[in-house]
Amino acid sequence: MGIQEQYRKEAAELLSSGEVKLVIGYGEGSTAERRRPVFVRSAEYVSRLVLDGSCVANLSSYLVPEGLLSDGKKVAVFLKPDGIRSINILAAESQLDPEQVVILGFDIEGGQAAPLPGRKASDFTALIGSLKSAGLSPELQKDADRLEQMSASERFGYWKEQFSKCIKCYACRQVCPMCYCRRCIVDVNQPQWINTSSHTLGNFEWNIIRAFHLAGRCVSCGGCDRSCPVNIPLRLINHRMAKEALDTFGHYAGESAEQQPVLATFRQEDPETFIL
Amino acid sequence: MTRILLNSRLDDCLGAWRSAGFTVLAPVKRSDLTRFDEVQGASEMSLDIVMPERTIKEHFFLQTEPLIRYEIKKQQIETEEMVPPERKRIFFGVRPCDAAGLDIDDPLFGWDYKDDYWFRRREKSVIVTIACTSADDFCMCTSVGLAPDSPKGSDVMLHPLLDGRGWLVVPHTDRGKALLEPVSSILLEEAAEPAPVPAVPVKFDVNNVMAWLAEPANFESQLWKEVSQRCIGCGSCTYLCPTCHCFDIQDEGDTYSGIRRKNWDSCSFAMFTMHTSGHNPRNTQSTRWRQRIMHKFNYYRGKFGVNSCSGCGRCTRQCPVDMGITETLHEISNLPR
Repeated sequence: MGIQEQYRKEAAELLSSGEVKLVIGYGEGSTAERRRPVFVRSAEYVSRLVLDGSCVANLSSYLVPEGLLSDGKKVAVFLKPDGIRSINILAAESQLDPEQVVILGFDIEGGQAAPLPGRKASDFTALIGSLKSAGLSPELQKDADRLEQMSASERFGYWKEQFSKCIKCYACRQVCPMCYCRRCIVDVNQPQWINTSSHTLGNFEWNIIRAFHLAGRCVSCGGCDRSCPVNIPLRLINHRMAKEALDTFGHYAGESAEQQPVLATFRQEDPETFIL
Repeated sequence: MTRILLNSRLDDCLGAWRSAGFTVLAPVKRSDLTRFDEVQGASEMSLDIVMPERTIKEHFFLQTEPLIRYEIKKQQIETEEMVPPERKRIFFGVRPCDAAGLDIDDPLFGWDYKDDYWFRRREKSVIVTIACTSADDFCMCTSVGLAPDSPKGSDVMLHPLLDGRGWLVVPHTDRGKALLEPVSSILLEEAAEPAPVPAVPVKFDVNNVMAWLAEPANFESQLWKEVSQRCIGCGSCTYLCPTCHCFDIQDEGDTYSGIRRKNWDSCSFAMFTMHTSGHNPRNTQSTRWRQRIMHKFNYYRGKFGVNSCSGCGRCTRQCPVDMGITETLHEISNLPR
């Protein structure tokens, strides 16, 4: 039995036994290559679920809207390791109870979806630990190195050009499981912290503040980057922050549901290189 | 006899227009994004694409437009109106759907209050469209009564020639005819055959859709929830739309001075139409999606006699979760009745 059939069967069992009220997975999209989020509430519809190498989106963001988990019932969701890390962070930040999330875990290897054993986020701790040891994506690092080699003014010019494309559609925010604020700081207007205008300054303010808010929290799922309709390489900013968190504090976002937020905790051995 | 512009003479043509005082804007690919920007020559243009990722709308209805500069003094408030520069502009290589988008928005910006910021730019701009020779899975102009070579909104339409030598030049307005005067010696007068336009399949029956939307009982239909379930509430579809025109007025500055701006706004956002009391008449994503569809295919038609969609398909093409107008309207159009 292929992974798709196996997971459809599991989804059907979860739904018909009443263990979960909803399965969030992937379905056929409007073209052959596209996959889209689908929501299955009854075992008779599990044939809508698709699982293959094109299923890249991190679906954990669909768990955070207000009300979905407030009835205490469980929801099953198809997640790659990045999505499982997101669940851990959401749990650590008290946004959900990981016991309510049944994970249908998989990873993509050589363009194919492969099953990952486990049901609860805590079942994947060893896997996430091995990912941490393997380090951040070398592919991303290559792009990041190109930026690192620039002078500060060249790099500023690069981001200025990129951010001047931004239209403040907030697709990056909306697709991100970490952007669960009921009211985002850009939408706060008393006082107005951030310019709402989409001029280059306002775009800088938005994108930099988002990068700061994601420092030590981003799992590099690439959702913001893929969603950006004007092709800003947002992955590079978030990668830079993730690298900083890892190199400086040994912090790999989403290791466990008990992990402390890196910027909200202090350890005596924390380096203080920038404090005189 | 028809008039022809050869590829090899395009630079001469642009030069003549620039000598006549025009700024030329065309699709340009820069920093991994194709949008209309000022060009000096043909080599900078990206014309062999289905369409640029961003529309020409943003050059008429700016994503952020300064309106007035204000200063609050002890006894009075001083204001200074900021009017757009009156540049003569040519938009070269516009797709018919984007040109139609401007035409669709004209009545909106002029019905109760004439929006100078829109019309000053409109009046000084000439739209030179190139009929499509390719389409992708998301194009849907034929579903909204347009076509890959519709002249709606175009001052001049260029039809690519079958032999690839250039374009057949057809003016559609007086402004278009006037634009051809300074380049008349560059154009050839000979018979030529235009390349065929691509077959863009009709994806929904727009009359069925409009009839369903007009039925008051369908306002509370379960369909709205079903089709919008995966919507994440970003503004990508609205901001890339050639006809979406909602805006928000914002004051930017401190207590005593600043700039009042007109910024793009989107019905997809949770803050859209939020009242100061905290009440929001559209407090779920499905009601916001319904608003978008109703506005385009019911309210707008009721007011201005035209649907607010020109079929470019960007809403689906660039949607992060593979939604868009096309699928919703397809579902509505295929409902049993």
